[in-house]
Amino acid sequence: MSALKIENLVCGYRPGKPVVNGVTFTVDDGQFVGIVGPNGSGKTTLLRAVVGLLPIENGAITIGSHRLEQLERRELARRIAFVPQLMEPVDGFSVEELVRLGRTPYFDRFSFEQPDDYDAVDWAIEELKIEGLARRQTTELSGGEFQRVAIARALAQEPRVMLLDEPTSHLDIRYQVSLCKLLRKLRSHRSIVATFHDLNLASRFCSRLVLLKNGALIAEGPPDQVVTPENIWKAYRLKVSVRKNPTTQRARYVLLP
Amino acid sequence: MAKISDRRAGPALLLLLTAVVVAAACLSLFFGSVLLSPGDLLHNEILWQIRLPRVILAALLGLLLSVSGVILQGTLRNPLADPYVLGISAGGAIGAALAIATGLQTISVPALAFLTSLLAVYVVYKLSQVAGKTSPETLILAGVALSAFCAAVLSLIIIISGNLQAIYFWLLGSLSSASWLNVITVIPYALAGSGIAYFFSKELNALLLGEEMAQTLGVDVERTRLLLIGTASLMTAAAVSVAGLVGFVGLIVPHFIRLLIGPNHRLLIPAAALSGMLLLIVTDALARTLLAPTEIPIGIIMALLGAPFFLYLLRRRRVAGK
Repeated sequence: MSALKIENLVCGYRPGKPVVNGVTFTVDDGQFVGIVGPNGSGKTTLLRAVVGLLPIENGAITIGSHRLEQLERRELARRIAFVPQLMEPVDGFSVEELVRLGRTPYFDRFSFEQPDDYDAVDWAIEELKIEGLARRQTTELSGGEFQRVAIARALAQEPRVMLLDEPTSHLDIRYQVSLCKLLRKLRSHRSIVATFHDLNLASRFCSRLVLLKNGALIAEGPPDQVVTPENIWKAYRLKVSVRKNPTTQRARYVLLP
Repeated sequence: MAKISDRRAGPALLLLLTAVVVAAACLSLFFGSVLLSPGDLLHNEILWQIRLPRVILAALLGLLLSVSGVILQGTLRNPLADPYVLGISAGGAIGAALAIATGLQTISVPALAFLTSLLAVYVVYKLSQVAGKTSPETLILAGVALSAFCAAVLSLIIIISGNLQAIYFWLLGSLSSASWLNVITVIPYALAGSGIAYFFSKELNALLLGEEMAQTLGVDVERTRLLLIGTASLMTAAAVSVAGLVGFVGLIVPHFIRLLIGPNHRLLIPAAALSGMLLLIVTDALARTLLAPTEIPIGIIMALLGAPFFLYLLRRRRVAGK
């Protein structure tokens, strides 16, 4: 069953000037979908529309069996979580307190954290392997550590789909790889949609790729069908050859001289 | 500094603060232009008709001003927001002065102060919006400009009404006219306001992550902002109507408590409310005794303490921003 269905989506920041223009794809339960494409291709805008931060001009977004516009903000927040490219740490908050903010959509007006909420927070912290950081101040963490805290906060929301905007862009290669491994593992609980700049990294870890250019879909499918010299030429105007990683059998591009 | 973020430390801190507030209130009953002894406790007019309502009113004033400071800083995501700096107090003062000058009943003073303070907050909020966004700097500047404007209007009211001494002394901020009627007038604002603030602490906490993140956590930011700014204006108006202009409480108390226990509003709101009560009880006791039998308006003492603290905050923010 599809967790997230995007049909012919048109959206943007000003009416009549769509940034995403007629994109269609589906994300099934348990999939890790990578959205790739050049700068300004509409990757972030697409995520913002799915999480309800941007009005839809045309087309439809369906989450499980609900249309996006039928869901109340709080109901939406229980289904979709968003990790922005740059999240600011909160001065005076410990890691655990920040992760606990992910439970906000579950609180009623006159009640606060229930045992369930503490369980979800502990679980999210374990999944991200940041137990050792739980009592640290968020302002003291390195970029790589804080990225995990930001993801734990989204996971504590117990969403059906987790959206991440360029989760690897500020990390060194070691953290990039360990983060991608973690996301690949997390998809067994939640579908994951993440934007990437590094096509090879996305191809290595994602179950499907969506390639955008100027807000339109260039290709969509398993990585070896998307990472082809023709598609990369269409999207980036770069001449490349595509090889398969001998161990993982995943497609990766190599720049031609 | 170590932060008290343990799940059990919060209630313990609040209990301790409550005990200190009660002790300070009891003690301050005996200080004033007439010193009382514990023996006067049962049959003393000064104690029951003047001191007790005054101490309670001081506590309520501290609560109103600090909680509205917490609310404004949280909803506007600006550490420098406070009812005084944003011109809400000055706006409220116009309404209250009008009510006094035209000889309206005491009950209508808060009502009129409320209307003009809401008007002030609306004007400041609109003025500070540049291309749909509110920046901290323009917000402060708009507040300062509006305060200056309100001061001019106030002077005009004073001159026209010819009631200089009454209104001017009242503007300096004083609890010298405290009565049981004042206490009864203000209590509903204090209770309802802090209750609303407390039950919106999850929204205020989510806003710590920024407006958009709060939205993705299911918070209706616009509606929350409107409701909470309305609440803070209401609380400020109530405070202004009984005590005139007492500034900086909403700035000093929340910041100090935030440094001590962190920004979790569920603890911050009650802790700031109690600390505000304590600060005002102590300050008002000083106002009564320092130059006895002359009273120093409490607003003067708060400004003497608050203005340097405000400058310290500005500098700290500048350094942290670099």
